[in-house]
Amino acid sequence: MSDASLPLLKPALYARGDDGKPVLLGGRCECGHVFFPMQTFGCERCGKFGPALQPFSLRGSGQLRSAATVHVHADPSRSAPFVIGTIALDDGPVIRTLLISAVPDHEAPGTRVEAVLSPVEIANGHALDLRFRTVRS
Amino acid sequence: MSRRLSELRPVYVVGIGWHRYQNPSETSYVTLGLTAIRAALADAKLEWPLVESSYIGTGLLGMAAGRAMLKHLGASGRPLVHIENASASGSAAFRHACIEVAAGISDVALAIGCDKRNPVVRGFTRTGIGTLADDAIVPFTHFALLTNEYAARYRVTPADIARVAVKNHGNGAKNPHAQRQQARTLEEVLAGKPISGTLTSLQCCPVGEGAAAVIVAAEDAIKRYNLDASRAIRVASSAAASERPGAASDADASLTRETIQTALRDAQIAATDLDVLEMHDAFTIEELLYTEAAGLCADGTAVHALKDGEFDIGGRCAVSPSGGLIAMGHPIGPTGIGQIGELTLQLRREAGLRQQPNARTGLAHMVGLGSVCYAHVLQRD
Repeated sequence: MSDASLPLLKPALYARGDDGKPVLLGGRCECGHVFFPMQTFGCERCGKFGPALQPFSLRGSGQLRSAATVHVHADPSRSAPFVIGTIALDDGPVIRTLLISAVPDHEAPGTRVEAVLSPVEIANGHALDLRFRTVRS
Repeated sequence: MSRRLSELRPVYVVGIGWHRYQNPSETSYVTLGLTAIRAALADAKLEWPLVESSYIGTGLLGMAAGRAMLKHLGASGRPLVHIENASASGSAAFRHACIEVAAGISDVALAIGCDKRNPVVRGFTRTGIGTLADDAIVPFTHFALLTNEYAARYRVTPADIARVAVKNHGNGAKNPHAQRQQARTLEEVLAGKPISGTLTSLQCCPVGEGAAAVIVAAEDAIKRYNLDASRAIRVASSAAASERPGAASDADASLTRETIQTALRDAQIAATDLDVLEMHDAFTIEELLYTEAAGLCADGTAVHALKDGEFDIGGRCAVSPSGGLIAMGHPIGPTGIGQIGELTLQLRREAGLRQQPNARTGLAHMVGLGSVCYAHVLQRD
């Protein structure tokens, strides 16, 4: 079975875009505030809620602000070491998530990264989860 | 019209007490809390029935832990309330005890922080909004990311940042209430167990158990109960704020900047007037970020100030003379109240080996998950 046919682990958070690249399912408020993930509880900036908040797909491209290798993690289902990055998405929001590229700490800031769908083990097989990797220049 | 604490009637810290912060043990939280409260009552030379209201700062004990503890002080029938505000639970309890006294609703109030390390569900994980990988990003990784960002921006090394821990372990070694009471060399700090990024175990605060208590009173009560006015330390201001959306990586520092500025302004002092600063240094990088945010030094220069000894006891401003969260420990509820106790010792000039010479003005700062932030200025009259 090819990876492309695997289910998405968190389909509320990301999707396959038209060009095959993953997009992050964010939102945009009437006030212009762009956020991730999509929610309709209310805008964190102006407080408008409900239909004032509309889905807004965010490109999976951005720039690393920082990266850190985690050496110790209590939950055995996520075995350390792994790498976490702070990513300023080109479409605005700053997010934190797992990187699949090793990035030396001091080289991280400014590094271009992109989202990819990466196979992970789940209880009864495999699924695709969102990860970021460095873009080779 | 709204008013600041400093515009209401003056509030004084009149009694302080601790149960030593320590590794998790079989000791009941009731023993921890009562030890601190009885020490604070004895310090103030005050009887329990005269305490009119109690604020219990606790993050981990669970619902309604307070009366099961306070009832062993004897029947008083006085009101009590639990305050949970993550790491800042104790700071919040202290603030609201001060507000009650300043407003004239009570003349004497207790703030008690008490916790044991219990697994609790963090409420913010139950919003129903999904996250990409927040289960993989615990606080030490949040701060490991900030460490690397800071190191890259200002071209400082992991060893430069680890110096915060050397200073604070040195201070903690002189504090009988500290969880960690052992001085450490830079080599020892750097050689510790790697945790996340460049943070090693001795650069991360231990979360154990303990208690800290502070009794606050109005002038009326100090006179009426014949308390020692020369040992009473005035609460000059209280500021609190919460995070706004924005640059995610700078949130705690910008919130700190804003909150400390408010506290300094309300106390009508400048950052350069501070002799002592008890700071939320759960991780080494925080002390660098927040001493800069507090205005003690320019952005990017905290490492230089640290190396020059400006933040040592005896330096320009003693930062975390208690040992800070890194050495004193961070049992959650007690932490913010223990900071007030340390400032009180310093401003009374009763801090012994940890005494900052001629200390007159101090500030206590805490950040709690969320994020929320508190700053209190205490002043010797």
